[in-house]
Order: sequence, then C-alpha cells, then structure tokens
Amino acid sequence: MKDDRTKRPVRPQWPAWEMTLAALIVAAGVWSTTLSPYYLSLDQIFGSTRFFIIPGLLALGLAMVVSLGEIDISLASTVAVGTVTLSKLSMFGVPIGFAAAAVVAIGALLGTLNGVLAARFGLPSLAVTLGAMGAYRGLAFIVGSEVGYTDFNDSYRWLGATRLFDDIVPVSLLAFAAVAVAVWLLMHRTVFGRYCFSIGLNRDASWFAGVNVVKIKICAYALASALAGLAAVVWVGQYGSARGDNADGSILFVVTAVVLGGMDINGGRGTIGGVVLALMLLGTLRNGMGLANIGGPTQTVVLGVLLVGGVLRPAVAAALARLRRPDNADV
Amino acid sequence: MVNRRELGKLGAGLVLAGLAPRLATAKDSGFKIMMTPKWTGFPYFELTGDGAKAAAKELGDTLIYAGADHADVSLQVETLQNFVNQKPDAIILAAIDLNAVAPVLEEARKKGIVVTTYDADAAVPARDMFVNQLSYEQAAKVMLDAALIDVPEGGEIAFVAASPTSPNHMAHIKIMTELTKTDPKYQVFKVVDTQFAGDDDAKSYDVAVNLMQAHPNLKVIISSSAVSAPAAARAIEASGHVGKVYATGFALPSAIKRYLENGSQKAFAFWDPFELGYVAAYETHMKLAGKFDPSKVGATIEVPKANATFTAGKDGEVVYGKPLIFTKDTVGKYDF
Repeated sequence: MKDDRTKRPVRPQWPAWEMTLAALIVAAGVWSTTLSPYYLSLDQIFGSTRFFIIPGLLALGLAMVVSLGEIDISLASTVAVGTVTLSKLSMFGVPIGFAAAAVVAIGALLGTLNGVLAARFGLPSLAVTLGAMGAYRGLAFIVGSEVGYTDFNDSYRWLGATRLFDDIVPVSLLAFAAVAVAVWLLMHRTVFGRYCFSIGLNRDASWFAGVNVVKIKICAYALASALAGLAAVVWVGQYGSARGDNADGSILFVVTAVVLGGMDINGGRGTIGGVVLALMLLGTLRNGMGLANIGGPTQTVVLGVLLVGGVLRPAVAAALARLRRPDNADV
Repeated sequence: MVNRRELGKLGAGLVLAGLAPRLATAKDSGFKIMMTPKWTGFPYFELTGDGAKAAAKELGDTLIYAGADHADVSLQVETLQNFVNQKPDAIILAAIDLNAVAPVLEEARKKGIVVTTYDADAAVPARDMFVNQLSYEQAAKVMLDAALIDVPEGGEIAFVAASPTSPNHMAHIKIMTELTKTDPKYQVFKVVDTQFAGDDDAKSYDVAVNLMQAHPNLKVIISSSAVSAPAAARAIEASGHVGKVYATGFALPSAIKRYLENGSQKAFAFWDPFELGYVAAYETHMKLAGKFDPSKVGATIEVPKANATFTAGKDGEVVYGKPLIFTKDTVGKYDF
C-alpha cells in the first residue's frame, strides 16, 4: 500500500479557489441584475470596468511583491507622483509617448528605492513602504499643487478616456488585459517568477540555492511601482485632473483584491489569475451595489467581510483537507 | 358611413394628440433627482441630504442620496457614473475635486441631465448651477462679527488656514484683512499673523499654541476650517488662556458646543446645512420644471420655506448666503 502511494504520480491540482471565484462572479452578476434594472447592459458593464483599471494595475504589481512575502503600501502615492509629473510634462508640451515612458521610469525608480531599503538593508517592508507612502505623497504635493492641473492635451487623455468598438470597450481595459497577461507569463512561466515564489516560501533556502534574493526583490518592487506609473497615465486620461491627493486611500481595495485573489500574504503561494478574478468579483459587486444606490458603509462592510474570508480561506481549506484525509496527517 | 358624432370624437382626439407632447414637456413634478455629498455618514452632509429629501417630498419628486463613506474622488466619480446610468432627471453633488468630476458630469449634461453643485463647486462647464452656501465676502464678515462678540473692544487677531493654496480660506483671509483696514466696524482689529494647519486637528492645536506664545497680546484666532477652529478652542482651554484669547471661525455646533457651554468661548459661525440641501433640491426642481434658469444672470427664485428669494449670479452661481452665529444660547438648537 505504502509503495503504491509513493509511486502515484503527482495529481494536477485543481485551481479550486479560482473556480470558486469564477462561480462567485457569476452569482454576483445575477444578484446585480436583480438589484438594479440598469445593470444588464453591455455599455454599462464595460463602462464600469474603468473604475477597476487603476486599482487593478496596482494589484498586479502588489501581487508580485506579495509573492515574495513582502508588502508595498506606497503604490497609491506613487500614482500621485506620476499624475503631477504628467501635468508638468503636459505643460511643457512633451509628447505623450515620451511622457508616459518617463513616468513609468520614475515609478520604477521610486520602486527601486523601496526595494533597496527593504531588500539590501533588510528593513521590514511594511515600515519602509509606510514611510515611502508619506514621502511620495509629500513629493506629489510639492511637485503639483492643491489647485490641480487640468489642461491636459487630448493625446494625454486617450488611454484613460477613449472607448473603442462603438464607444463600448475602454482602451484602458485592453491595456489592463495586456498587462495582466504579461504579469501572468512573468510570474508563472519564467525563472524570475519561480524565484519570486521560492523566496516567498523560504528566503534562506533560495539564497543557498544560489538565487540572488536582493536583486529579485528589488526588481519586483521596481516593476510594481512602474505599473503604478502606468496607472498614473490612465488616471490622467480618465479624470483629466492631477493633484497631490490623487488615488489617496485606494490601497485598501488593492490589498483586498490581492488577498481575495488567493495570494498568501506571507508569500510563496497564489496566482495572478486569482487576482484578476478577484478584481472582477469586487468590480461586479461594487457595480451592482452602486447601481442599487446601496450606501457606502454597507459596501465597505461587504468588502471587509470578503477580505476576512480571503485571509481565513487557506486555514479553513487546510483544516478541511486534514479532516477529509486523516491517514495523510502523519505523512 | 361615419356619423357626425364620431367625426367630432376623432377631431377632439386629434386635438388632444396634438397637445399631448406639449403637456408631457411641461411636466412639473415627479422628477428623479440623485444626490451625492463629498462623503456619506458625516452629520453635516447627512443634514444636507435630509433637507434635499424634504424638498423633493414636498414637490412630488424622488430623491436618492448615496455615496462612498470616505472622501475619495475616484469613488465619487464611480458613484456619479452609476447615477448617470440610472437616467435621472437631475444630479446634485458636492464635488471633492472640481476637475476630476468634470468628464462624467459633462457626459450627464449631454444626456440632458441637470447638474447642480452645492457646498463645493465643480468646473463651470460641467454643471448648470452652483448653490454656494456663502459668498467669500459674507464668510469674511460673519467670522469678523463672531470675533466682535468675543472681544468687542478689538485687538490683535491671527488666522489659521488649511494651506497657502486652499482657495476659499485664502480668499476669506484677504477680505478679512482688507475689512480690518477699511471698514470702521472692524477697524478695532489688527491682523498679526497667518499660519497653516492643513485641516489637521493635531497640527491646528500646535499652531494655536504657537500663535499664543508668539503674540502675547493676541485676542482672537480665526479659522475658516471646521477642523482648526475647534482645535484652537481646545488649545486655548488646555494652555490656560481662557478669557484672554478666543477662537472663532467656522465650526460644526457639535464640535464647539462644550466650549460655548462652559464659557471658555463665546461665538462661532456656520450655516444651516438642512436648509442648504433643501434650497439646492428646490432650485434644481424649478430648473427642471422650467421655472428657473440659473444661466441668466439676475434670474430670481423664491423659496418659501427658506423665507428668501435667491438670485442667479455669474456662471450660474446662486448664493444661499444665510450665515449663522452660534452662541451659548443658540448652540443647543442645532444637532449637527
């Protein structure tokens, strides 16, 4: 008997959580249809996705950092640095292509700074990025002004404001989809991604195996903040406004999406697909509740319950697995 | 054969059919109005919502009040987009960022939705009218009036603003400073300092303490910030300056009731948020019914419940303009 078991090939693991999320999305969609007669319209649903592109880009970036067992709560402040920088570049008539590249590069630079402090000097990432959150927000207020800037050139607005195919599909949604695929490939199909998860599972073992832990971590932070730079380009297009307080307070939603998506907050486990599905679930719920004019506090409670559910899920799943297969408990 | 009576009916029917569209456009009640404040759950905004609901009920409209539970402009835009998708007749809002809400409001106006701002304006092309609680001039005067209640003989005064870029605070300070030089009523005051506290409670407290140390003869600390004014009152009490220095400016009655009742402070100013919301909804209704056109400078509208007639100014701005001063005797009447 024992021999049989050791010879048994590794069973492909069903992505149980992703399946659950997909089912929940369908349920949330059906629920939304009953909540509001205005929900079920292609124009409406595609339009509503625009509100999840910016937190979505941040969530994809954060997922990379979380896979390492680290956290970056400064991403929303980085978005603000990006938007006010774009306002300056627009003022000087810099073409959007160059401006966007510059802002993504500035994002990467700020992220590198976080990464160096957290990885090279071994400081706790929560403390480092808490400081960075304040510092970058301050920087955004210095570069921009509280009055804000609005005279963006039309080309600056294209990515965030345009909708294609009969004015239905937002360009920003297509951009998000492309980034999501790229991040998925990076995290699940490249050596870099494998290293990220291995560092998250066991940093020391990875180091002994020859992984350049510091370099990988710095790269992940830089990529996450570069995506925050891209989010800034979307912001400017969508809202046509750049102020130091842009995107303030959006990080809770981003963390919720990452955790609900099945990323283990301690690192080493999770999928990018799960994060994208979690974003879709949260988006559907918010859209439906918003159209039904359900109050802000109620919506926050629903989000909070989902977040707690997301955190408890692995523990509950492990407990259930143990109950189901008591013979494996001592293996 | 069609007899004469039937022909008559047909004729009457045709006349009615011809009239029907005109009757439909002259609709003057049953509008669907949707309202969002900067954020929900804050007593001040809840009262503006209650006031708007009261107006809608009287006028036979439906008013839906909703929004996020914290001031976040992307959530506000999302709320507004959800409103637009529900095809209301009008939207009323207090804008968090005057420019960021503009694209969605312009989309709303293109669809024929009337857009009214109150409390905090949006970019002018994005809305039909702005129901402004107080003009800068009125705000400046009412704060100085409150300061006169504190110290009738006058003396040194100092200002606390949110930041050098906060437009309304800086405008108030500029006008107040001018009034202390030009208006005989206010010439008893001498402006000695202006500090910034970023609408932050702890910082306002520190700033107030510093002001009292730096200016030993200081009589009144004035702030347009509903955060800073109560914090200054607390600092005065805690640092043992009661009776020597007073705080005033804009503050919610609930935040300063204690100081007025224990006698450490004498007067603060604000306006009636319930009535502000009522007036905003009332004027929006009249605009929908075609009885008030805020785009015409000088157009007037009477609001019986508010006991006032309001006049449209430049850029569709309608000043509500009824400041309130709270003292020990009146503060108990307000529950916000």
